[in-house]
Amino acid sequence: MTAEELRAAIARQFGRSLHIRTLDTGSCAVCEQEIRLLAAPHYDLHRLGFFFTPAPRHADLLLVTGPMIRAFEVAARKTYDAMPGPKVVVATGACALGGVYPEDPFTHGTVDSVLPVDVWIPGCPPGPLALLHGLGVAVGRLAEKVRDLPFTAPSYPERDGGDS
Amino acid sequence: MTLWFVRGIRRGVVTTRYPARPDETARYLPTPPAFRPGTLTREIADGLAAVCPGRALRRDGGVLVYDVGACTACGRCAAEAPHAVTGSGEFELATTDRSVLIKRIPLRGEAL
Amino acid sequence: MTSLYFLYAAGAAWLAAMLTSLLAARTVGGLRACCALSALGGAAAAVGGGWSLLYGDTPVVSPGGATLTGGPLQLQATSLAGVFTALLGVVAVAIALYAPRYHQPSTGTSLYLAACNLALLACLAVLAAGGMVTFLIAWETMSLACYLLILRHPRSAPVARGAFWFLALSEAGFLLVVAAFVMLSSKTGATSLALIAARAASVPGGWRAAAYLLALIGFGFKAGLVPLHVWLPEAHPVAPADGSAFLSGVVVKMGVYGIALFAFRLAPPDGAWPGLVTMGAGAVTAAIGILYAMAERDIKRFLAYSTIENAGIIVTAFGAAMIFRAYDQRALWAFLLIAGIYHVANHGCYKTLLFLEAGVVEHATGTRDMDRLGGLIHRLPRSAVIAFAGTLGIAALPPLNGFVSEWLIFQGLFQGFRTGSHLTGILIVLAAGTLGLTGGLAVYAFVRGFGIPYLGMPRTRSAAGASEKEQPVLGPGLLAVLCVALAVGAPVMLFALARAAHTITGVTLGPLLLPGKLTVLPAHADFAAFSPTYLAVFLVCALAVPLLIYLAGRPRARSVQVPVWDGGIVSFKPRMQYSAMTFSAPTRVTFDALYRPSVSVTRPSDDDPAGRSGPVHYEAQVTPVFWRYLYRPAVRALEWLADLVRPVQSGDVNLYLLYVFAVILLAYLLGAV
Repeated sequence: MTAEELRAAIARQFGRSLHIRTLDTGSCAVCEQEIRLLAAPHYDLHRLGFFFTPAPRHADLLLVTGPMIRAFEVAARKTYDAMPGPKVVVATGACALGGVYPEDPFTHGTVDSVLPVDVWIPGCPPGPLALLHGLGVAVGRLAEKVRDLPFTAPSYPERDGGDS
Repeated sequence: MTLWFVRGIRRGVVTTRYPARPDETARYLPTPPAFRPGTLTREIADGLAAVCPGRALRRDGGVLVYDVGACTACGRCAAEAPHAVTGSGEFELATTDRSVLIKRIPLRGEAL
Repeated sequence: MTSLYFLYAAGAAWLAAMLTSLLAARTVGGLRACCALSALGGAAAAVGGGWSLLYGDTPVVSPGGATLTGGPLQLQATSLAGVFTALLGVVAVAIALYAPRYHQPSTGTSLYLAACNLALLACLAVLAAGGMVTFLIAWETMSLACYLLILRHPRSAPVARGAFWFLALSEAGFLLVVAAFVMLSSKTGATSLALIAARAASVPGGWRAAAYLLALIGFGFKAGLVPLHVWLPEAHPVAPADGSAFLSGVVVKMGVYGIALFAFRLAPPDGAWPGLVTMGAGAVTAAIGILYAMAERDIKRFLAYSTIENAGIIVTAFGAAMIFRAYDQRALWAFLLIAGIYHVANHGCYKTLLFLEAGVVEHATGTRDMDRLGGLIHRLPRSAVIAFAGTLGIAALPPLNGFVSEWLIFQGLFQGFRTGSHLTGILIVLAAGTLGLTGGLAVYAFVRGFGIPYLGMPRTRSAAGASEKEQPVLGPGLLAVLCVALAVGAPVMLFALARAAHTITGVTLGPLLLPGKLTVLPAHADFAAFSPTYLAVFLVCALAVPLLIYLAGRPRARSVQVPVWDGGIVSFKPRMQYSAMTFSAPTRVTFDALYRPSVSVTRPSDDDPAGRSGPVHYEAQVTPVFWRYLYRPAVRALEWLADLVRPVQSGDVNLYLLYVFAVILLAYLLGAV
């Protein structure tokens, strides 16, 4: 998806409002700093229609960092369940993608073991530009999910969501 | 208050135009490595796999399995074999398919 | 006369019920028979009350020329007493349906039910009293019967205390009531209430005002006006549930009836200031009542303070009616009288319901403490639905009856500008503002009063083990249906009340109140309009819309049921929920100056030289303002006076003979002169 199509897709699907819930499953918090930098004036994700929300009930997108430690599994599952569909899970950072920490008695090692991940964003940490690109991919995936819901008619051309 | 306003007008818009237009600062970002297939031998591949702290590199027969997702861009593989490793310059790596991030790089002289 | 015959029937039924109870209530069959007779009497009283509402006062009747000590027995069924009598009947029916499942047959129960029926009979006699003597004797009988009612379990100290304070304050009020009646009777030279009302002009203004003030305070003891209310939170928790329901639903209304009697029927005082005093007393009572209710954990004490609040609202309405009459706004006078009486009926219904449900909860879980309950909506589903109807009513939420009567009262108060006097208008607005505050706090209080015990998770094992088997449902259920009927059928009720207002005040309110079939106007066509029936229908239809959307969308959009979002806590414990006191904490902090709580916090690390930590003990207690600053000094003054007079009773026979001699001498001297 090109950038223009991305903006148009977000505008169409979510009326300039896609809410992101961040979830830290045991990361070193550098990925969180990069995510927080997205709201800074240089990157400004609000101009694209993304917003952060603390309430999973209001969220469309779950942005997960960290290697999914076992102690957090129940809370992660509850957060995911509390989000109303359609929703996407975006795993961010090398820890969440299975690198750095192997599976052991304390961690799962990868977010995919507990939550169904839709989009993977590699990086350690992924810079804000990589995050913006990943969020764009996630919007495309979310658009696909909305299209597949049984009571919406497709209002945009068919397109497979992959990286550009 | 006036000073802030004036300084802001002089500096102009600082927000990046990404993703509508490419960002100028993107070239300075640390990015995962890219491997030159013609330079990799079994020994070099094993050395790279041993030195990678994030378990992103391993040798599977005649192929170097490189997991971009697990790479932390620490640079140790580049320090170990500088002729075989370059910076990729790619940061737009997000994907919906995990297997796209696992690259299999053939080693020199191996049958496919 | 027909209404009087119905009241005779009711009286006879209750007398029979009393005898049955004394003779046979030690068996289940006797208990049921007694309750059946009681219910029959209630039905007769309800019909009789309604009849007198519609068809006006009967003449004063002295059945068989009977005389009581001090004067003839005079009975009259009046329009003013009509709603009160109907309410008495309805409450009697509800209690009679409730009692068989609530009480176990025993000697105590038989005595208790006998006292209950005697109290019903006495209340009926108060309402049907046509003469001063009848009224006073019936009033005193009612007080004594209620005293016996509260003393169901006399060996317990709180019960004895509650009953004692009820009786003490009843007697204090009775003295003042007797004084008020005697003042009027001596000036008019009559004991029949109708004659006193007819000759009211012959009582000088000062005497009328004095009699009214005495009556306000005297009946205020019974009605629960602050600071005369202290018996209510003591007596209600300790009486059995149907006894508390009777006290709140009927006996407090007797006090209100007495105030209405002196304000509107017997010699009403001149000027606006008696109305202002009444309205002020009512407004203050309402605010203080609900504020103290917020600080209570015991369900019955909470409901008792809420009764005080509602009595305050009714008295405010009556006070404002008096003010409007003084300024010759006759339509508003009649309108506020009607609004107050309507609120009497509504409050009687839902307060009785709530007390009966509190009794069900107490029997099912063994505790009245809100902080030990929770989740009862799953375990006592029918009781929860019925209690919810009562809660909606008392919180004055549309479309139920509490909303209708409070709307009427507010609309009457908002028209204070029609008096033409700036000061009076401002004072009426202040009273309306105070009632607004109490209305908001009442919603808050009853969200707490319903939510903490019924919703959420059970906080203790006894709450988790509650069961609805063998719990009475029919009595409270009838009252819940009546709450809805009083709301949706408000035009019918207002039509009947308008007829009664015409009898009492002479004002024809018909077109100013009910212009069409279903719309209600507040006594003036240019102010506001409201249709309770349409509102109820509209709300039901509005609720149907999302339901229809859900049903239409259901096959295509499957819903996923997941647990409530609790922040991702691994296991949610009942102790993590709101407790009753934390829910009301914002109010208690805001009104800190009223509550003046005494807080004590003890930590084990305070005493431990090593500073080791452990459980922290926190105790907060609301300062009992009225006890400490009014009643205890009064009791101490009384004791001091008694100490002063004690030497008179020395026990020395010779001194007593001297007294006899002195009095005889005095009598001869006075006779000679």
